[in-house]
Amino acid sequence: MPRIKINHLKCTGCRHCEIACSLNHVENTSNPRRSRIRIMKDNERYYPVISGPFVDAACTSKHFIEINGLEYDMCAFCRASCPEKPYFIEAETGIPLKCDFCGIPPNPSCVRWCNSGALELVED
Amino acid sequence: MNGWVGRCLRVNLTEGKHSVEELDTSQAERFLGGRGLAVKVFSDEVSPNVDPLSADNKLVFSSGPLVGTGAVTGASCSIVTRSALTDTLACAKTRGHFGAEMKFAGFDMIIVEGRAESPVILSVVDGKVRLVPALEYWGRSTSETESLFKGSLGNQWTARETFVLSIGPAGERLLPDANVVNGRFLPVGGAGIGAVMGSKNLKAIAVKGQQSLKVADGNKFVQVVNTLMNKLNSATLTAQSMPQWGTAFLVGLCNQNGILPRNNFQEVPISLGNIGAESLEKAFALRSQGCFGCPVACIKKTDMKQQSYEGRGMVPTYLSIGTLGTNCGVSDLSTIGTASMLCAEMGLDPVAIGGTLATAMELVEKKVVTVDEIKIDLQFGNGNGILEALTLISTKKGYAKKLGQGARKLAESFERPDLFMGVKGMPMSPFDPRAIQGMGLHFATSNYGAHHLYAYTFIDEVLNVNDKIEPYETEGKPALVKFYQDATAVLDSLGLCCWPLMGLKFKNFVPLVNSCLGISHNEDDLLKIGERIWNAERMFNIRAGINGSHDILPERLMKEPIPDGPAKGQVSRVSEMIPEYYRLRGWSDKGEPKEEASGAPGTGEV
Repeated sequence: MPRIKINHLKCTGCRHCEIACSLNHVENTSNPRRSRIRIMKDNERYYPVISGPFVDAACTSKHFIEINGLEYDMCAFCRASCPEKPYFIEAETGIPLKCDFCGIPPNPSCVRWCNSGALELVED
Repeated sequence: MNGWVGRCLRVNLTEGKHSVEELDTSQAERFLGGRGLAVKVFSDEVSPNVDPLSADNKLVFSSGPLVGTGAVTGASCSIVTRSALTDTLACAKTRGHFGAEMKFAGFDMIIVEGRAESPVILSVVDGKVRLVPALEYWGRSTSETESLFKGSLGNQWTARETFVLSIGPAGERLLPDANVVNGRFLPVGGAGIGAVMGSKNLKAIAVKGQQSLKVADGNKFVQVVNTLMNKLNSATLTAQSMPQWGTAFLVGLCNQNGILPRNNFQEVPISLGNIGAESLEKAFALRSQGCFGCPVACIKKTDMKQQSYEGRGMVPTYLSIGTLGTNCGVSDLSTIGTASMLCAEMGLDPVAIGGTLATAMELVEKKVVTVDEIKIDLQFGNGNGILEALTLISTKKGYAKKLGQGARKLAESFERPDLFMGVKGMPMSPFDPRAIQGMGLHFATSNYGAHHLYAYTFIDEVLNVNDKIEPYETEGKPALVKFYQDATAVLDSLGLCCWPLMGLKFKNFVPLVNSCLGISHNEDDLLKIGERIWNAERMFNIRAGINGSHDILPERLMKEPIPDGPAKGQVSRVSEMIPEYYRLRGWSDKGEPKEEASGAPGTGEV
């Protein structure tokens, strides 16, 4: 099954993937707030986050984790289109968004427009 | 509307009121948007004799129609006003994410007029326009301002998506060398704008929103973007040099041709020592950062904690290495990096302040002034002096008295105007016009003073991307300069970056523009719009009293040959090229645009 592999160390934060997603899902429209992939910025680094389903029980425990001495806010990198944060909720309709691999795998538009190599399509 | 949002925000700081206006679509077609439309609006509304620091001056922030649509490198927002440094028009191009977010916030253009009684921040967040009292922000550096403002929003999700453009202490103190800073990243070419913003008591502008932008033909548009990205990826300069080193890769190439200036344009560096691109890589851990929608990502950030560098800022670009480095005799990367970071924190323009410091250093060298008199140890090669000066000039009143008035006035105040290396009050960016004749002609004729970012002639003259053009020759240069000036005006107005011209041809952008905006222009149509914009800017300057007699380079560059290096013996032959340049532009002998200047209807009138 093809999956999108994220290497956040390569991400340049240009947000071209957000627009690619928006143009692919909403006709002739560019709007990062209608995109199913968003770039989070933390400590001058960028993290692409692809939206997934929201499950109630998901966020009861760990909100912060520590990797190599740096603390990360898991809430920011969570892919759920949850009511707690205004990401992955379609700007104009309020509908929660979820990545659908652009309909027909294996050709997600965000991977095609990512020039930095941060997003990569892999078979696993 | 396609591309454009179709709305402008007008904010009157004196009355504390704002209004939303429809975008003038007929003018948007004639001037595209961005820089072109901002120049049109500004020259229509503001008298050319306005005092730059008075309440009558206006500030126009204007994003181009392609910004935020996903067009490759569509991120540029132009800021137009009358400059406090040059008295001409000033146009800064700020990239990063501010321009795109401004359109998502719902406005193509923000026009700021009047003057607030006490410091304010203009916040355009989620459709709400507010003037936030900003007394507690006054005196703070740009990065502090940004963090503090984001903290004040009270919601981390809103804060994450908000982009802030602010001035530092230099702008507050009305230093003509001040610039605005966009998310800790310096815009280019806008010396004099920081002071105008400071005079309005406007500390910062913050934008965020969720407005959708429309493109005319989405399928075609996506195809064109794919094609352009493939082209950029197959060109060596945009696929390797720029992503790897940023613009610093030019340092070595320019020095090979004797273009990199040293010690206030007196000589050229004999050896680069440890400031070349390869040393950059060794000195700092490099990581790329991209402006909105840019596949090239030429901004290099540092990760590594280094003594006195602190890893906060950008890795120095060609511009900072040239102006704050070699032209001040400094060849230590960590000093140049720190200086560049200080400029961003204090809100100083590296070209303008670099020129001022280099002038001061030559004044000291020529024994016109003593170090005691200017209170800071400014001597060629003294890096610590530069660092000290950058902070002291922007924060302590006594130090700014001499050094804070800009390079030209500094040289004039000691009766040595010949030591000012610049045009129309703007110090020259680090290209020695004696060794690159086309750039020299552009420096002399530019509407904004001697800044290379309004005509990238080095793409042909140094990098030989399209043709092999000899930098020391004058033949064909007037046409080359006119092409690059017009093309840059078009790209700025569309909101695209000009660096991709290293991997793309100008005509490659035509399908991008057409599929996005739903128009059917060809290359010549666009270049005609560029010419119209250039003429409009020229007309404003002429009415402001800056005319053909100011199209002149410093005497040193026309009379004293380069003493050493690959360009030994060269002088700038700009006066030979100017008549041909005026003729190509259709201007009079005195450099005034005629009614029928470019053959396009309505060009002459502005």
